[in-house]
Amino acid sequence: MKLENEDALDNLIICQKCFTLHEEIPIKDGTKACCSECGAILYRYDSKLIDHGLALSLTGIVFFILANVFPLVQIEILGHEQFITIPKTIFSLFESGFYIVGLICAFLIFIFPLMIFTINMLLFTLLKIKRGEKLTKELLILLSHITPWSMTDIFLISILVALVKLIGYAQIHMGIAFWALMVFVLIDLYIVKRIHLSEIWMLRKRILLYEDKK
Amino acid sequence: VIEIDEDKLIRCPVCGAVNIDKNKENSCRRCGSKIYHHRSFSTEKSWAFLITAMIAYIPANLYPMLITKQFGTEEGSTLLGGVVMLWEHGSYPISMIIFVASILIPVLKFLVLIYLLISVKYPIGKDKKVNKHKLYYMTEVIGPWSMIDVFVVAILAALIHLANIQIIAGTAATAFAISVFFTLLAAHAFDERLIKEYE
Repeated sequence: MKLENEDALDNLIICQKCFTLHEEIPIKDGTKACCSECGAILYRYDSKLIDHGLALSLTGIVFFILANVFPLVQIEILGHEQFITIPKTIFSLFESGFYIVGLICAFLIFIFPLMIFTINMLLFTLLKIKRGEKLTKELLILLSHITPWSMTDIFLISILVALVKLIGYAQIHMGIAFWALMVFVLIDLYIVKRIHLSEIWMLRKRILLYEDKK
Repeated sequence: VIEIDEDKLIRCPVCGAVNIDKNKENSCRRCGSKIYHHRSFSTEKSWAFLITAMIAYIPANLYPMLITKQFGTEEGSTLLGGVVMLWEHGSYPISMIIFVASILIPVLKFLVLIYLLISVKYPIGKDKKVNKHKLYYMTEVIGPWSMIDVFVVAILAALIHLANIQIIAGTAATAFAISVFFTLLAAHAFDERLIKEYE
């Protein structure tokens, strides 16, 4: 295989699932390229990636705040009413002395999700105003390290499992935060599925090259 | 013009950029992350995390996960005990979910990681009947779901907090959370490119 220089490597792509080598070809706006071996998505082309990313991450943050401020579920048990919020769940672990579990939960369901969306928002804003060559790089690296550690989707299912356990003992009312969390999880899944980090890296390169030429 | 062998191209585990394998310590030309090439080092780290996770999984099964305080009496239930109790009460789907999340997935993940770690060092499973990349990818995807039980305990403990009835988390919750945490670390520390080298 012959290459002009090291930069020509950017035209190559290795499938993240099966590690097959592919050559990147231009594709139509809004379409995707798949691996010929395993069918995994290699990359997409979206000419409005920055706007889409910005809109999605902003909406995500709004719903994340809603999900943390309002009660998740309310129950009535033996004439008492109880409710929980996400911060309250974490704090109650600390109060009962479970510092390690509390810390792990705090990171998995609060700090990392919030960080991911904040980083996404910062990243797309910087790309939109075409600034921050160094910062975008650092943010992208950070993002790829913390993305596997966000577990809001698993927490959402856990809420349902916990509630099914309580059926028969208590009356259950879903709170606003539960629905907000559901929307947040859907947005999160959509971003993870639709926007690959390598696409943002390519976008960053394109924008920075454009700046260099000017 | 550079002439290179296709096998010499490697993927940066952090940003996904294609790099040329220079056979010593590689750092990615796009994000600067280190791409390890020390065979022994990359599996040792993963082994260490995995063994920690397996040790933590023992108390996670022995100690109570959930303690119910009801009118002065205390009752603890272990991981397996909770599954059995739910099954006897007739909540089959939930019982199955908890069983899969907290027993099947962790144990499977231990076995898969042990198999992968051994297979990149010693010539086993070379017949390519199992797609090891797919196997690894599967463990990466299903692994985090074993956190379900920890979250459920946290939610119940926060929710049931009355004078007469209280649910508190048990020692196993800490052990289990640590176990899951280290299994995830072990999976991340495993260098996928080792699979390819030994094919």
